[in-house]
Amino acid sequence: MTMASNPGQTGELLLSVENVDVGYGHVGVLEGVSLSVRRGSIAALVGRNGAGKSTLLRAISGLLTPSRGRIVFNGRTISRDKPHVIVGAGLLHVAEGRRLFRAQSVDDNLELGVYGLKLDAADYRRRLARVHELFPVLEEKRGLPAGALSGGQQQMLAIGQAMMREPVLLMLDEPSLGLSPLLVDQVFAAIMALQQAGTTILLVEQLVERALEIASEAWVLQNGRMIASGPAAQISASDELRAAYMAAR
Amino acid sequence: MDIDILARGLVAGSLYALVAVSFNILYRPTNVFNFAQGELVMLGAMVFASLATVLGWPWYAALIVTLLGVGLLTLLIDVVAVAPVLARSQHGTGWVITTLAASLIIANGVNRIWGPDPIVVRPPAPLTTDTFSLAGMTVSAYQIFLVLLTIVLVLAIEQVYRTRQGKAVLAVAEDREAALLRGVNPLRLSHWSFFLGGAFAGLTGVLAAPVLYASTGLGPALLLKGFAAAAVGSIGNNRGALIAGYLIGVTEALGASLLSPGYQEAVVFLLVLCVLLIWPHGLFGRPFARTV
Amino acid sequence: MAASVAKSRSLPGLLAQAALVVLVLALPLALDPNGYALFVATQLGVFVIAAIGLNLLAGYAGQVSLGHGAFIAIGAYATALLTVDHGWSFWLAALAGVVLSALMGVLMALPSFRLSTWYFAFITLAFAQVFEKMIVEWRGLTKGFAGVVGVQPPSVFGHVLDPAGVYWLVAVIAIIGFWLVNNLIRSRFGRGFVAVRDAPAAAQAAGASPARLKMLAFVIAACFAGVAGAFFAVQKTVVTPDDFTAEFSIFFLLTVVLGGLGTRWGPVVGALVFFLVPELLTGLESWRMMVYGAALLALMLFAPHGLVGAARSLFDRLRPKQTEPAAQPAETVPPEAAHVERPAISGLALEVKDLRKSFGGVVALGGVDLSVRPGTCAAIVGPNGSGKTTLLNVVGAYYRRDAGQVLLGGRETKGLSPQQIAGEGLGRTFQTPRLLGELTVLDNVLLGAYRRERASLAGTMLRLPAAASETARLRAEAMELLAFVGVADRADDLASETPHGHQRLVEIARALMGGARLIMLDEPAAGLSMTELDRLEQLIRRILALGATVVIVEHHLDLVASIASHVTVLDRGVVLASGAPQAVFADATVMAAYMGERALNEQAPGQAADDAATGDVSRPRPAPVEGA
Repeated sequence: MTMASNPGQTGELLLSVENVDVGYGHVGVLEGVSLSVRRGSIAALVGRNGAGKSTLLRAISGLLTPSRGRIVFNGRTISRDKPHVIVGAGLLHVAEGRRLFRAQSVDDNLELGVYGLKLDAADYRRRLARVHELFPVLEEKRGLPAGALSGGQQQMLAIGQAMMREPVLLMLDEPSLGLSPLLVDQVFAAIMALQQAGTTILLVEQLVERALEIASEAWVLQNGRMIASGPAAQISASDELRAAYMAAR
Repeated sequence: MDIDILARGLVAGSLYALVAVSFNILYRPTNVFNFAQGELVMLGAMVFASLATVLGWPWYAALIVTLLGVGLLTLLIDVVAVAPVLARSQHGTGWVITTLAASLIIANGVNRIWGPDPIVVRPPAPLTTDTFSLAGMTVSAYQIFLVLLTIVLVLAIEQVYRTRQGKAVLAVAEDREAALLRGVNPLRLSHWSFFLGGAFAGLTGVLAAPVLYASTGLGPALLLKGFAAAAVGSIGNNRGALIAGYLIGVTEALGASLLSPGYQEAVVFLLVLCVLLIWPHGLFGRPFARTV
Repeated sequence: MAASVAKSRSLPGLLAQAALVVLVLALPLALDPNGYALFVATQLGVFVIAAIGLNLLAGYAGQVSLGHGAFIAIGAYATALLTVDHGWSFWLAALAGVVLSALMGVLMALPSFRLSTWYFAFITLAFAQVFEKMIVEWRGLTKGFAGVVGVQPPSVFGHVLDPAGVYWLVAVIAIIGFWLVNNLIRSRFGRGFVAVRDAPAAAQAAGASPARLKMLAFVIAACFAGVAGAFFAVQKTVVTPDDFTAEFSIFFLLTVVLGGLGTRWGPVVGALVFFLVPELLTGLESWRMMVYGAALLALMLFAPHGLVGAARSLFDRLRPKQTEPAAQPAETVPPEAAHVERPAISGLALEVKDLRKSFGGVVALGGVDLSVRPGTCAAIVGPNGSGKTTLLNVVGAYYRRDAGQVLLGGRETKGLSPQQIAGEGLGRTFQTPRLLGELTVLDNVLLGAYRRERASLAGTMLRLPAAASETARLRAEAMELLAFVGVADRADDLASETPHGHQRLVEIARALMGGARLIMLDEPAAGLSMTELDRLEQLIRRILALGATVVIVEHHLDLVASIASHVTVLDRGVVLASGAPQAVFADATVMAAYMGERALNEQAPGQAADDAATGDVSRPRPAPVEGA
């Protein structure tokens, strides 16, 4: 993946969420949440259903506006920006449940992945070829409506669509949702390939062990509060993770 | 049975299809069905008639001014009456009331300016409304032109949705939030769509004027028959609208000739009601509506 | 809808209010007896009657109708034709008009069952236009443009009413109509209407049929319009097609919107302003439509709840500030649930066999079996997207199954609607609570009793003693259930303003209120704090202790392990394992599905079963690998 749009040093802070509150109407969901992602890394955000993970991603991508706190991406404050402005800055959010355009063809969905970018035809073809190389099925089914694909194929299309844009930071919400273990392996391999090509990744994943295996850092959210963070290996063994996620109350 | 019915039905049906397409253009990115659309068509006819017939402008100049004028007015409707309501709630039906209000304002304003007398509009040469006989039907050159142009316009509009911006409009129509996350700015697309949909409505008025005369009373009937064509042909589907327009035009002409002209509306109404009760999404409904 | 009104009204207070009303109503008489003011005032009364009905339909039941004028026309023409041409008495003719109008209401309701709101609005607008044309066209019946001339005023006790008498009669009927509708909207029907408007799935879960409620709203609105039409004919003495244009219909909707959709006083205020103001601004006659248009536009943009809503928020702002309620903390600790004795429940068994459901190319349920014994707690667990919620929705008939059997208490539920299944004793909660935000918590629980209430429509509207005592009894029971789930202190709060954790408990109370014998809980613990979680666990235990069957979809495995006697693990739409919690959770395959070990390391299903601590884990078939 090109590094042209991504000139910063690996290791510096790319995204920082500083002490944000987010809610829907009267109901507060997140309270004083902070999180940071270093350039070039994979960060995992984990926690049980309803902990507020998706809400946090929605706030970062501009679908929700924090009532307090600030979000900084690539050196600029984005907490009040509109979603399309944030996408334009190179921060892409692949929402839970894939959210493809089911009535449009596979190719059209991939084309929408580069909406707003000025690409020449050769560059577009190169990106498309890369997606097809990783997910050959998307070439086979290129003319079919996305809604006619199986769940696994739809997930590949969603990731392929995101790859087309070559974002600086990619946020993936539950990419393993509804996939068989074999497909999960493929998806995780794709995520690691993306990271090696220079994309920074923030991963929300219910398969905690899988996520912590590929992440360098992890953040644990519980009831709208960040209860732990640190190197993924450390978090993997921590009591907080057990408490937030699994057994033992 | 009189074969002229077919000719009359196709001509009227073409106009209904054009109104339906103008509905569809601004429906797609907003899911709003503009209740002022009938009055916009009427406004297009009146403005063009005034410029071309009353002031004697050349037809192309009158056409350009009409399209720009109606387009900009429709953009204004979006900015003032639709976008603020949608910003508050994407799923509310407040826009039903605000576009109705816009419709009242336009209708009243136009009435104050022009009064109730219709204006005769002649098509540009070499087209005429003089009738001749073709395969047993009484038709005019302009009528043939209108039917053919409608098909060309519908196909041209379909091509617009093959461009990247057009695909983005379809994306917004299907899942607005997902489109937002792909970097689409729905507000910009809906402004453009309102402008284009308004201009298209104005064009429809211009095209209708030689057939129906330009009069301030055109709005309500065209609104409802345009809606009928759009709904029967499945909202958002322009080819469907074309076919449904013909279907409604011919049904209406049949009803008028078999029963009485006064029953035109009733026959169309029953047709639409039956179609929608059996196929709530029209005859050419979307195959992949969201399941969640 | 306003929060419940204070009940204590003193007799002198009531008398003073009544005197005030009479004084205001007498104003037109004092101004200009038998003259124009009286004429206008009578007409206003007629419009108020029609608007009250439309507000019920459009404001409460959410059915936007642009064809209300047609119903008024039916009432007016029936009255005029039957009295003038056939010599019927006014009262009999008006009754016929109301009945005809109601029949038309039934017909108009039919498309609303299938069409979305604004499609329906368009259809009603088209209907109004067609109706206008038909009045002219059916000359034989309606006398065409000439109309029906010479409608006589009604007589009361052999007394022919003078214009002032007609005015008083209209005023009294308007007040009675207002009272009837007010009683209705505070009853189970009113709650049902709001549920149909805001959360149809919640209406169905409570056993209320959206189609029947829509029909009811239409018929009532049409009856009001029929009455209005009868007096319209009397007041004008002439009925012509010009009176009932499509615009007339549109104006009625605008009237109700102007006043405030779904507010009690909205139709009254709206009709007064809409039809009275132009009388005062006769100089602007020719700009009338533009003024209306501009006013409506401004109103929708700046005061979406109409004049009444605007007045209310202004009043709220001017009122001395009460102490601001503190911002909702993320963790709310419900008070200790009171020890409430509840009658025993005889739990229902649930049997699901080879259930299948696909959406497009995605298989959500690929042949699921599930068996729940009465009075036990069964849990369904599995990763997101494995089909758990789909399973609940298919069992409740919210989705139609593709194939398979669902037996509730031993009876096949195929072909039953969700509300019928609710009536069989199936209660449920939703992943995102579906409460009616504009109603109080108590009203939301009362919605659950929809199917249990016996009071008739007439009894409800007239507030007959039987209906009133039933209402009191059910309110007491709803309060008891709120205490049972531990949120009694929130009874009078608006549901939209209660914290998330409480909303879930309210939904449970609503299901119990409906007499549920099997309750399906969809992720009840999501987003709850540790303390709230403990309370939830206690609550589920107490519900089980009463004898009810509980099916719980939950990610929180230790909650599941502690309360469920049987666990089914779903993965990608098929049953991965089922059995006693201890055995299932010791199963390596299950943990792999949850925590995501590598597919390569995954043991073959047969092997895993041998490794399991106990042997009673059944695994029907290996999970298919999705084709790439």
